[in-house]
Formats: sequence, structure tokens, C-alpha cells
Amino acid sequence: MSRAVLSWWSEAIAVFAKDWRSEFRTRYALNTVALFALTTLVLVSLGLGPLGSQGAERATVLPTLLWLILLFASSAGLPRSFVHEEESGTAVALRLAATPSAIFVGKALFSLSLLLAIEALVAPLYLALVQLTVARPGLFVIVLVLGGWGVSLGSTLIAAIISQARGKGALFTVLAFPLLLPLFLLAIELTRTAIVGDPTGPALAQLALYDGALTVGPLMLFPSVWLPGA
Amino acid sequence: MRTLLAWLLWLWIALVIVGALIWSPLAVGFKGQSSRILFFHVPMAWVSFLAFLTAGWWSIAYLLRRNPRSDLRARVAVELGLMFCILATVTGAIWARIMWGTYWNWDPREITIVLALLFYGAYLALRSAIEDAETEARLAAVYAVLGVVVAPFFYFVLPRISGFTLHPEPVVNGSGRIEMEWHMQVVLFGSLVGFTALFYWLHSLQCRLERRRETA
Repeated sequence: MSRAVLSWWSEAIAVFAKDWRSEFRTRYALNTVALFALTTLVLVSLGLGPLGSQGAERATVLPTLLWLILLFASSAGLPRSFVHEEESGTAVALRLAATPSAIFVGKALFSLSLLLAIEALVAPLYLALVQLTVARPGLFVIVLVLGGWGVSLGSTLIAAIISQARGKGALFTVLAFPLLLPLFLLAIELTRTAIVGDPTGPALAQLALYDGALTVGPLMLFPSVWLPGA
Repeated sequence: MRTLLAWLLWLWIALVIVGALIWSPLAVGFKGQSSRILFFHVPMAWVSFLAFLTAGWWSIAYLLRRNPRSDLRARVAVELGLMFCILATVTGAIWARIMWGTYWNWDPREITIVLALLFYGAYLALRSAIEDAETEARLAAVYAVLGVVVAPFFYFVLPRISGFTLHPEPVVNGSGRIEMEWHMQVVLFGSLVGFTALFYWLHSLQCRLERRRETA
């Protein structure tokens, strides 16, 4: 690989590593997200566990609730990826230190790894607590990864946008919801087919396409968000 | 010249209304006169998609050249798009009430039109949350371009997600051909053209009005 590519990639990894290092100092996002996820998980399984729900409705209701839990968890942890830079004054230094696309990739990888970690925590617990067996476990994992990918990348760009606006928390939900809802709709549908064992139809391709759109779009738009004159 | 074109537009829309309410036959399978809503509901939904594209176009122009006029045009396109989106949703809900007794069913197309509505609203919320004019224009432009990226999913890909939809097959079908009686095709096409022209006329009017206000 050329030196330019290597240095770009090392910038992205440096941003990624910095975010995890500072995260481990405070463990703010990890704690918030994990607690949110576990609380909603408990609520759901209390109401709809083995004793609470029966039969065919479980296949339609339970995937929805799993992704609701993941939605809450991601709304708790992902919006702050740029806000704390602005608040602590490190944003200027970051603008000087690395190219915008590398910063975006680094931050997006941080959000992605956080979300995947939460999914790895929540999904098995969920299956166990509501007593759900998955007919197509491979598809189940793929959906979790693809869904997490889209949510992380879209959230990273929206987080960058709101870091420069007022009303940050509420504005994040307002901006992200229309963008991310199709992901959740597709993921819920695909999770249902994974549990029941049906063929996926076009939904998997649509999810991959939407992920592609949410990768290319934010990657190209991020410099305009990050740099005032770009 | 502009006045002439405006009067021609008036004439065109008048003809469309006459065509929709009198000249066109009723579609098979619909209750009473309700199929006539088609000639207004579909063009309104189409224009809301067009508004996405227009806003995206002018947003890209703004990001490249930083001309405030491009930003104005993008914002006006979003505001008009919101209006047409609301109209499309309401006419759709009325039609649903007539046909199936309920205003809303969360059919895939209904979901995605609500997403489009939310997107427009979010754009305007974003603009009102930023104080600095340049930042506001820049970030809003980014969001509008994101909108263009996902709009085709909202209007064309996602409604086909599960194969089941309440929306009728002559328009939303697999073979891609329109299976509609030819009088209806003429009026529908005329209505699409008319509403498109109406959108751009309103857009031009509103942009000129706001620029007059700025310089006054």
C-alpha cells in the first residue's frame, strides 16, 4: 500500500484508539448503553417471556422488541461521539491533526464496535430470556451486523451535525429517526424470517443496499460538516 | 412572459380537474367516485419526491459554490415538499377511509410517506436549531443531500419490502407496465405534468418573494 493510504489508515485507527482509550477512562457510554439495554431487556422479558406470550404472535412481536432495545441503546450511546469533542475543546485540535475522512472512519468504527459489543451482549440474553429458538442463526448474525453497520454510520454523521447545533439530544433523535427507521424495519423483518426460517426475499439485498448508501453518502458529506469552508 | 405561462398553467390544471371529475371513467374495483382521488393523490406524492430531488440539487450546488441563493432555493423546495407530502398523506388517508374503513393501516407506502414527512420536518428543525447563518446553510445542505440518497429507498424500494401492499396493482406492479384505461392514463399523465409545473411555479414565486423581502 502506498504511504499516503497507510498514513490515512493510521489516522483513522488513531482516532478509533483515542476514542476507546478515553471511553475506558470514564466508561460513560459503555455504562449508559449497557444499563439502558439491560433495563429494557428485563422489561421486555418480564412482559413477554415464556409465560407472557404464546404462539405465532411471538415471531412477529419479539423481533420488533429486540430492535427496539437496540434502538434505545444506540440512542443512549452514539449521539455523543462528537459532542464531547466540542464541549471539551478538543475539536479544534482534532481538525488540525487528521484528515476529515479518516476522522469519520475512526469515529464510525468506534460507534460500530460499541454497537456490535452491545448486540453481542443483548442478543444472546434476549434469546435466552424470552425463550426463543432461531431457525437460521447465520442469517440472524448477519442481520445484527448489517443493521448495526447502518445504524452506526448514519448515527456518526448525524452526531457530527448536531455537535454544531443547539438542543443536541432531542435534535439527534429528530434527525436520525427518518434516516434509520428503514434500517430497523428491514432488520425486524429479516430477524423474523431468521427466527421462523422463511426465505428472505428482497429484504436482505435492500438492507445491504441501504447500508451501502449510508456508507458512501456520509463518507462524502462528512468533510462539509466537519470543516467550515469545505 | 411569466404571466402568460402562469395563465397557461391555470388552464392546464383546470383541464386536469375537468378531466378528473367528469371526462375520465371510474376505475374498476373502487367504491363510488373515489377512484378520482387518484388524479390528485399520485401527483402530490410524485411532487413530494421531486421536491427531495430539487432540494438535493440545490444543496449540492450550495456545498460546491456556497452561493446563498442556492441555499434559499433548497429550503423553499423542502417547505413546498412538506406541503405536498402532507397533501398526499391526507388524500391517501381519505381514500383509505372510503375503501377500507380506516384512515391508516401502516401499509409500506404509508410508512415511507410518513418517513418522508419526518425527513422534511427534521430538515426544518435542524435549520431552526442553528444560530450562525453559514453553519445553518451548510449543515442543512448536508442533510438534504443525505435525503436525496435515501429518498429513492423511501419511494421506490421499501414499498416493495414484503410484497404485500394495500396500494393497487395497476401502478405498483412487477411487470412495470401501466394497466389502466387510456382516458385515465391521459388525465393522470396530464395531472403529473400539471402538478410538476405547479411545484416549480410555486418554487420560483416563493424564491423571488423571499429575495425581495431580503433586499427591501
